[in-house]
Amino acid sequence: MYKVVIGLEVHCELETKSKNFSSAPNLFTMTPNINVATVDLGLPGILPVVNREACYKALKTAMALNCSNPSEIMFDRKNYFYPDLPKGYQITQVTKPMGVNGYLDILVNGKTKRVLIHQLHLEEDTASLEHNSNFSLIDYNRSGIPLIEIVTEPCIESAEEAVCFLEDLRDVFLFLDVSEAKSNYGQMRCDVNISLMKEGSNELGTKVEMKNINAFNSVRDAIEYEIKRQSEILDKGEKVVQETRRIGEDGKTYSMRKKVDAVDYKYFVEPNIPKIPLSKEYLDSIRKEIPMLKLERYKLYQEKYGLSEYDAGVLAKDKKISDYFNIVVENSNDSSIALNFVTTSVLSTLNKLSITIDEFPVKALSIAKLTSLVHDKKISLDHGKKILYKAIKEEKDPIDLIKEDHLEQINDEDKLLNIIKEVMDNNPEQVRQYVEDGNTFVYNYFVGQVMKTTKRQANPNMSLEIIKKELERRKSDGK
Amino acid sequence: MIEKEKLKDYAAKLMFGMEEEEYTTLQKEFDVILEQMEYIGKIPNIKDVEPMTFPFPLEEAHLREDEIGDYLTVDEVLSNVKHQVRDQVKVPKVVE
Amino acid sequence: MDYKHKSIKELKEMLDKNEVTSEELFKEANTLAHSTEEGNYFVTIIDKYRKRAKEDTLINGIPYALKDNFSTSGILTTASSNILKDYVPVYDATVYKRLKDAGAVLVGKTTLDELAMGGTGTTAHTGIVFNPHDKKRLIGGSSAGSAAAVAAGIIPFAIGSDTGDSIRKPASFGGVVGFKPTYGRISRYGLFAFASSLDHVGLFSRNVEDTAIVTDIIKGNDPKDMTSLKDDNLCYLEHIHDSIKGRKLFYIKEIVDEEIYQDEDIKKTIRTFKELMEKLKKEGFLIEEASIDEKLLKAIYPVYMTISCAEATSNNANLTGIQFGSRKDGKDINEVMFNARTLGFSELIKRRFVLGSYILQKENQEKLFLNSLRVRRLIVDKINELFKEFDGMILPASGSVAPLITDDVKSEKLDPKATVLENHMAIANFGGFPSITLPMYYHNGLPVGVNLTGRVREDSLVLNMAQKIEDVIGIKNKVAGDDDV
Repeated sequence: MYKVVIGLEVHCELETKSKNFSSAPNLFTMTPNINVATVDLGLPGILPVVNREACYKALKTAMALNCSNPSEIMFDRKNYFYPDLPKGYQITQVTKPMGVNGYLDILVNGKTKRVLIHQLHLEEDTASLEHNSNFSLIDYNRSGIPLIEIVTEPCIESAEEAVCFLEDLRDVFLFLDVSEAKSNYGQMRCDVNISLMKEGSNELGTKVEMKNINAFNSVRDAIEYEIKRQSEILDKGEKVVQETRRIGEDGKTYSMRKKVDAVDYKYFVEPNIPKIPLSKEYLDSIRKEIPMLKLERYKLYQEKYGLSEYDAGVLAKDKKISDYFNIVVENSNDSSIALNFVTTSVLSTLNKLSITIDEFPVKALSIAKLTSLVHDKKISLDHGKKILYKAIKEEKDPIDLIKEDHLEQINDEDKLLNIIKEVMDNNPEQVRQYVEDGNTFVYNYFVGQVMKTTKRQANPNMSLEIIKKELERRKSDGK
Repeated sequence: MIEKEKLKDYAAKLMFGMEEEEYTTLQKEFDVILEQMEYIGKIPNIKDVEPMTFPFPLEEAHLREDEIGDYLTVDEVLSNVKHQVRDQVKVPKVVE
Repeated sequence: MDYKHKSIKELKEMLDKNEVTSEELFKEANTLAHSTEEGNYFVTIIDKYRKRAKEDTLINGIPYALKDNFSTSGILTTASSNILKDYVPVYDATVYKRLKDAGAVLVGKTTLDELAMGGTGTTAHTGIVFNPHDKKRLIGGSSAGSAAAVAAGIIPFAIGSDTGDSIRKPASFGGVVGFKPTYGRISRYGLFAFASSLDHVGLFSRNVEDTAIVTDIIKGNDPKDMTSLKDDNLCYLEHIHDSIKGRKLFYIKEIVDEEIYQDEDIKKTIRTFKELMEKLKKEGFLIEEASIDEKLLKAIYPVYMTISCAEATSNNANLTGIQFGSRKDGKDINEVMFNARTLGFSELIKRRFVLGSYILQKENQEKLFLNSLRVRRLIVDKINELFKEFDGMILPASGSVAPLITDDVKSEKLDPKATVLENHMAIANFGGFPSITLPMYYHNGLPVGVNLTGRVREDSLVLNMAQKIEDVIGIKNKVAGDDDV
């Protein structure tokens, strides 16, 4: 058996209005070369001007990943020739990344795993290349889009852990609102380094690198295939070749190039960007804006509200739904009714109508009020739900609906007694069945009649109690 | 003296070639500069000095607000491009 | 009208009095530019007058030239390199835009050492730039054409760039004023980068006052350049005649020690310089000699070479002929880039790039690149320490007159005998100090300049002191031919 050692390098484009070093739009588009500034084209005489928002989002992500931050912002140049790199160098961070030595706790099969983050740095994306049969085309729209790179320590031990980490990392981006991290747009991409070592051995295996994998499933396939491939090689007593491989459509990996001399990127400090000091106040203000992340919410829901693992998982997964639920539960006096409303009615409606929580017509606070009414037995659960669906359909506030339709439950004993007396007076045969035959089946009959008369406004439990008492009274009177 | 082959490799990595006698000149230049740098390395306590990457501290430097500003039209992007197809720059097929 | 000797101020007065039109000035300049074409001052001469009626400024209607490494939308900009010989930019450098907005009239784009990486003015893709004072001599570089065109009287001012002394050395050889203000005072946006941490924008004119006038127009913060200084809200022209009483200058003893030089011409320059110091003292300057460790002084040249070559090799990695520039065919993408660069750069440039790349390599960085950056700090710290006491540093801008053009000079081989006297002006680039060269004396009809360097951000004071020095020397508004033998 072999111990699998995996390190990931994850690239994620940040969502900003403009690019990292130019003021061209940062927008995904299929129309080539429409979002390009002089800087993105590497024209002679250009100078980079750093985007504040990109720095903010990179720092915020670094903090959320428990990294330490530098005392100043500075950039370095990474020099290499490639047709997608118009300047001939990429502006990145080597000397002082936005974050170092962090971690992200993830849940793998119910167990918490701590993935160590080596560093997070801010850089720029390259132009994109479209390959045709005998030529390639360069589109500079992507050139200069702010990109963060997160490098893990080689501490991941299986394909499942790797995929869990990537999914959770994407959720971090979404929770922080730093990126949409759409892998189908190439906004989130990943390089995988994998090596196998003999169980119990201290000797590191030969590293194989797989570059630019977009889909998480492909990451899983590539790792699983590599584990199998490398195990077979090692089983035969042969050596794994150090190389870069690519993943094919079939989920297998193919050799791209054997490891030659390491490329010397001749890094040096970017001279056109002065160092920008980061004050403690500024860093603190960013830290304050970091919301609770998925795993914390997941745990909190179970511990504080007693939610099941499943429910906690469903709610914690999407920040907006989780935020919505938080408002409902914090403003309701009954967390289990609140959970019931959100998981069944709200979530199923989102599914049914294919809308996001932002588009959901009923405000969280209104649902909170509604659940409190149910808890206080002002309305029945059944009613509450009906009102909610009506509110969704008519895009109205359910509390207004209750008032409008006078749907508020009748909880007044005297009022109910009068109604019940009238109902019994109109149904002497059923009263007789109780008084003379002691038939308790009539209870339900009278409850039904009361509900019918009151258009379901009567409190059914109270009505039942009053019906019992009134029948008993009539029985004694009859004697 | 630095080997010519090394210099040729450096030039190749910088994406150009040079004539044979040009490498000879370059070898001599390397001798000059490396000798002078040798001398610089002997400046006392040089290692304790922080490398100076910028002429002076620039306190007023600041980050740019994230707003869309000037950028080029497609025609401007392509105006100096010799080979183009479908508003993109055409190059021989790039294989990794 | 004696156009060639007129200052900006005089030309402006004539324009204001309608004694001449801007178009007539342009035609005068254009004719002169064409009549001196054998001097190779210009890469591009603009023949069509385009009047820019804008706000009234002191340079509205005044002809000028730009070094051909400033981006000018719609106007060929070659950086005097084959790889850019057909490059027509799509955007304006900030300095060009400011001059255009102020109504100055562009006469042409001037020749430089290829990619500004040379000090002789002999390495342009269009050939050697000759010194208008003596066609057998070079004018110096890299802002060769700008220096020569102002020295020849074609235009009253021209924009240049200065990485080691690329304005201030040719100013000395051309007998004109050459000024580079504090790093960041004038935006570098649109200046083709040579060595970004050393590159400065500056200008040539024929008197200090004109220099102040133009600097007032082109200086100021630019959001497109992060290294640009915030506005100092000063009008340099207004302060140019302020009293200099009690201002303290120093010169570096080790550089102007007559004993160490054999060359009679250098000895003459040093004697003239010392005489000038005496005259300046009489006019109210306090002048002392200061001593700087010779190890540091001798390090200036190699430190300059290593830093500038290292940054240059990266800054020019965009020149592949793909998204702009001279594209060459090739069977694969690497060959396309390889052929464009092999054919596009001259030998000198390639040698500099290889050197720069070697310096940046992982195994050499510490010893070559970082040590150079460390010595850079030591030198700058030493000068700043002296600037605590002194307002400026004054030294000869060159040991002697412009050298004759020889094969040796043209090849620009790294010079093992490079003297501090010829290379000290790079100090102002290391520390970003404002620095100005003005004519000091004429030797056999050829000019030699004196250089004054001041504290960072104190551009106004440097111009103010330079004005006084110019008054004392008494040379201004001269053009080639006036004293030539």
